[in-house]
Amino acid sequence: MVLQQIINGLTIGAVYALIATGYTMVYGIIELINFAHGEIYMMGAFVAMTFFRLWGMPLWAAAPAGILAAVMLGVTLEYVAYRPLRRSPRLVALISAIGASLFLQNLAMKIWGARRQPFLDPNRPLEFFQIKHHVSLPVLGEATFSNMQITILVTAAVIAILLNLIIKRTKVGKAMRATAQDQVAARLMGVNVNRTITATFAIGSAMGAVAGILVGMNYNQVWPMMGYMAGLKAFTAAVLGGIGNIPGAFVGGLILGMAEGFAGAYISSLWMDAIAFAVLIIVLIYRPSGILGEQIPKRT
Amino acid sequence: MRRGFVIAAGGLAALSLIVGCGGGETETYKLGVVGPFTGDGAQFGEMIRMGVEMKAHEINDAGGINGVMLELELQDDKGDPKEAANVAQKLGSDPDVLAVIGHFNSSCSLAGKEVYNQMNVLQLSPGSTNVTVCEGGDWTFRNVYRDDYQGYFIADYIKDVLGYEKVAVFFDNDDYGIGLKEAFRERADEIGLEVVAEEAYVRDTQEYTPQLTQIRAKEPDIIFISGLYANAAMILTQAKNLDIQTPFIGGDGLLSSDLIKNAGSAADGTIITCPFLPTIEDEKTREFVEAFEKKYNEKPDAWAALSYDAVGIVAEAIAEVGTDRTAIRDYVASLNSPENAYDGVTGMTYFDANGDVMKPLVVAVVRDGEFYPAEHQVDSLAEAEPTEETAEAETEEETPEGES
Repeated sequence: MVLQQIINGLTIGAVYALIATGYTMVYGIIELINFAHGEIYMMGAFVAMTFFRLWGMPLWAAAPAGILAAVMLGVTLEYVAYRPLRRSPRLVALISAIGASLFLQNLAMKIWGARRQPFLDPNRPLEFFQIKHHVSLPVLGEATFSNMQITILVTAAVIAILLNLIIKRTKVGKAMRATAQDQVAARLMGVNVNRTITATFAIGSAMGAVAGILVGMNYNQVWPMMGYMAGLKAFTAAVLGGIGNIPGAFVGGLILGMAEGFAGAYISSLWMDAIAFAVLIIVLIYRPSGILGEQIPKRT
Repeated sequence: MRRGFVIAAGGLAALSLIVGCGGGETETYKLGVVGPFTGDGAQFGEMIRMGVEMKAHEINDAGGINGVMLELELQDDKGDPKEAANVAQKLGSDPDVLAVIGHFNSSCSLAGKEVYNQMNVLQLSPGSTNVTVCEGGDWTFRNVYRDDYQGYFIADYIKDVLGYEKVAVFFDNDDYGIGLKEAFRERADEIGLEVVAEEAYVRDTQEYTPQLTQIRAKEPDIIFISGLYANAAMILTQAKNLDIQTPFIGGDGLLSSDLIKNAGSAADGTIITCPFLPTIEDEKTREFVEAFEKKYNEKPDAWAALSYDAVGIVAEAIAEVGTDRTAIRDYVASLNSPENAYDGVTGMTYFDANGDVMKPLVVAVVRDGEFYPAEHQVDSLAEAEPTEETAEAETEEETPEGES
């Protein structure tokens, strides 16, 4: 029982973590809460579903197509909706983000319809992901989990490591860190700030799409409003971990996922969302900069 | 039409004046049909429209009602109670409108009820299942069962037909989910069906494994989902992922092809109760479904069938008693026993003193991506015990369960 809830919580948490990094990276670099990020996650899932189920392409082609579409969308969004407002008050850009979010929700409804649809193709079951494992441990009890859940956890872990490498070891990563600390100084040092911001949106969007595709496969359902709640939760996770802090986003995502899982199981499932947001409020009161947020003022 | 004029004139001088002024244009019997033709419930409205229009065409192709054509006046309430009250006002104040079929959403039917009862026009809802819809409205009827009746039915079906002892309930935390669950719970306690777990979810949730894990630990024989198909599809999928072998049962909220589309093979074996099933083996149903498919290129759903029957009931009333609104209402109210029922595609329809209907539900089971009639149906209440039913028609809601 407990073990099952831990595994469930980790799986949800890993998804939140992947989406949360998108929020946190963008916030870290231009101090904008990109409210349309949940919609990028949704669009990535929908495009991959379109390639996979509707057009019958293999998953290894459909998933990258979904990620690519999300990257292009994220970059376009930055170019169209945020870049012209970069020198405006932050509130203006925030409103633009909310507008973009609504636009994308409605666009998806227009293209794919408002109903929920399956992600997977019943004629081509991805049997590997369906394989289930049973574990039984003393004290923690029994649990059942699928290869799909393992895939989600492994993907999240691999991406966390990759992201760390990109930011610490590559030139783009260095440029990101520099831009995050001081845009003007970074520009003076020869950093192409615009291109760096574009790269940040591209990476964040790609991770959003990965999360969307994993969720689509795991729950076998995609719908135009799927980004709304997932986005809010991921945003909560980002704030929880310390907004602007990438490891914080992962920590926040996992904590939130676990809190929700346990609240759902042992308190009341009706309180799952309330508890997620109560956690946010408590953290904001006692640690306004988040769990890992205070170590580095802006970003690692 | 002459006869109509006489009656109308006898009833109200002003009325006859208006009708008279209409001259040749009023050479039809006019029925109001209200539903959510646009807005969130538009897919329901679409089915209602197809159902009523098909019945009207059939009646008119066969020469109308005593030679007079039936005309439908479709009004859109958008699924919004405010709009529903406006539309009701409009239909009620038009003396040519003999009766109203509608509304679909319970909140809209309730909003319209006030108006129809004030203006003395028959309201026959083909889709509002909320318990209170017909309460205290002499002019308000429905030919679909009440939510609580379905809850009782499911409890009985689990205990008596399926023979299970322990049930877990997984319900949507909204009016429909709670109402159905409460009725189910009440009946389950009465008949000694043990409810071992009760878990809730909210509409936007996509993760149901914590609750499913809780439910599994209680080892129920069957899990009752009191909610809608979109959530149910995810619940079934996640139950399969958790390797939960327990069968699932649900109410009419689960009856949608999207359930099967979204849940795939995880939906197999799920039992669903509903007012109508196009695949049920019955001569009348088969003919209706074939004609419907020929006309509209899709299968009718329960709402189409109930709307189709609703028009049939009112048409029968007009044919029998003419165009007086009170006489039409009285005729419909007189359909109050199995011997005195309207025999339509959704079975025998007759009303209790409240205006509610008591019909056995159809039980469907999902197999190979299709809804099939379950092996064990509960026979028509009327056929089962006609004498008892007649008496029960007078009394409250628990009574139809007496014999099952």
